[in-house]
Amino acid sequence: MSTLGRILLVEDDPKDVELTLTALEEYNLANEVVVAADGEEALDYLYGRGKFKARSNDNPAVMLLDLKLPKVDGLEVLKQIKSDEKFKMIPVVVLTSSHEEKDMVASYRLGVNAYVVKPVDFHEFVNAIRELGVFWAIINEPPPGSVKKT
Amino acid sequence: MAQWKSQMPKPLSAIQRYCLAVLCVSVALALALLMQRFHFRGMEVPLFLFAAAINSWYGGAGAAAFALVLSCLSFDYYFVPPLHSLSMTRSDLPYFIAFASFALLVSWFAAVRRRVERELLQSRDELNREVAERTQQASLLNLTHDTIFVRDMSDIITYWNRGAQELYGWPAEEAIGKQAQDLLHTVFPVAMDDIRAELLRSGRWEGEVQKTRSDGTQVVVASRWSLRRDEQERPAAILETNNDITERKRREQEIRTLNEELGKRTAELEAINKELEAFAYSVSHDLRAPLRHMSGFTELLQKNAVAVLNEKSQRYLGIILESAKRMGNLIDDLLSFSRIGRAETHKKVVSLEQLVQEALNEVRQETAGRNIVWKVGALPTLYGDGSMLRLALVNLISNAAKFTRTRQKAEIEIGCTDQKPDQVVIFIRDNGVGFNMKYANKLFGVFQRLHPPEAFEGTGIGLATVQRIVHRHGGTVWAEGLVDEGATFYFSLSKLEGV
Repeated sequence: MSTLGRILLVEDDPKDVELTLTALEEYNLANEVVVAADGEEALDYLYGRGKFKARSNDNPAVMLLDLKLPKVDGLEVLKQIKSDEKFKMIPVVVLTSSHEEKDMVASYRLGVNAYVVKPVDFHEFVNAIRELGVFWAIINEPPPGSVKKT
Repeated sequence: MAQWKSQMPKPLSAIQRYCLAVLCVSVALALALLMQRFHFRGMEVPLFLFAAAINSWYGGAGAAAFALVLSCLSFDYYFVPPLHSLSMTRSDLPYFIAFASFALLVSWFAAVRRRVERELLQSRDELNREVAERTQQASLLNLTHDTIFVRDMSDIITYWNRGAQELYGWPAEEAIGKQAQDLLHTVFPVAMDDIRAELLRSGRWEGEVQKTRSDGTQVVVASRWSLRRDEQERPAAILETNNDITERKRREQEIRTLNEELGKRTAELEAINKELEAFAYSVSHDLRAPLRHMSGFTELLQKNAVAVLNEKSQRYLGIILESAKRMGNLIDDLLSFSRIGRAETHKKVVSLEQLVQEALNEVRQETAGRNIVWKVGALPTLYGDGSMLRLALVNLISNAAKFTRTRQKAEIEIGCTDQKPDQVVIFIRDNGVGFNMKYANKLFGVFQRLHPPEAFEGTGIGLATVQRIVHRHGGTVWAEGLVDEGATFYFSLSKLEGV
């Protein structure tokens, strides 16, 4: 494993956060995960506002985004990111419970890079998270200006 | 009319007229001679003038002239010296000329009088004819169902046909002479001045107005006005025809009300549909999350506590995991079932044969390694939603594959029968475990299962989905079967018109 990208996980459910982090831990991917509990926090992180004022200017290598979020919902976050020159290159993976075609279509319309439905089965869930983490944080070459840990 | 006729002399024939002339002059001569005999002097001239006048009156110009000549001769012969000779002295000439002139004058007056009379008669006849014609026209207007009436420029009704009586209730005798507005209380859709301006400009106006009948009820009529002008082009009268459109208006209103109700209903249904969607979304999202946590943390527990858990506890954890997974499947199936009901159908001409092939390709991936004999008959082209029908076929075919699993050699036949005139019936027949017809009505219910999950897996949503899809295509679905003898599932769909 050469480099490891920073993962921005936007997820309001602490249990899901814990499960996701557990899954990533198994593959030593958890160190570089930033968690935002709602859409506003995710945007604060990207724009370096509020509690993320001090963060470095680099973009995350990938963003795992839940759709159903308090305050600013996932689709709105996606819309803002993809319409901002500074962030539109960040790969965004929607990670959601929703099977709804409507959500899927809306996400792809807004330029999402992948759409993953969280499996109920833990093994499948772990596999999905692992593959996502490995692909986006390790295999994929992120656009210039992203955080990579050597 | 009768009075006119009695005053008029009967026309005489030519012979009668000339005989009358001779007779009158003879009588006048006889009377004159008689008078002379009794020494009444100067009576001969008036008597001859009488004769001439009577002839002019009754006999016409020819007979009058003839009587005049006869009178002149008789007068000259009997009364102008030298008597009993047609010659006369110079001194008698003026007298004679005066007589002749006066007789001529009387005759001429009579002739003029006759001519005037004849002309008068003629115009009387013409008048009669015209009156008859007008009467006929008026009675024609009475024949029409339409309401027609005429009012003059001061709004006084001058004509009122039977249609008007029938529509408004007043007979012509009561309506004629009344102010139209006082009678009918017309309510106009636009200002009266505008109507007048339009009428004067184009000679016509039409619109929908409301009028009141004699019984006080109101009636809506389509009203058409035509302006009649007199010889000097001055507006003289307005002819108005009315058609009762109350019923039509009522129906229009009814349709409007129904449409409004329909709109409301549609809005309600849309709202309900939205709610359902929100519900499905919440089921999809919110119910799956806790399940995932149950399953996830149970798994983590299993992993972390494997050393301290005995076999029984391990089994319990296994059951929790399996139940969570099963509930996840049930939720997924219920969601896709509800989606079939909510989704719009996109109907077009589809080939069932192609859909069956696609469904078979899908099912065959799961039946690899099994001995299944597939028989697929000719299938029609019809009008429907391709992806929905494919889903129905996948469900039916994979059911057939599932329930023939216990057979050494499975036989599955897909075909269609032509037993209904306007519908095609597609069947999927298998030689599988079949079912008891007693439970046939339960087959298509949501989560209804006739076999324990240990024997055949499944949530029991497949046939409910098939039924919903077929119903959305206006068809029906049914099944026949015998325990251990196989089952046949049928569904009917509308035939493609013109094929």
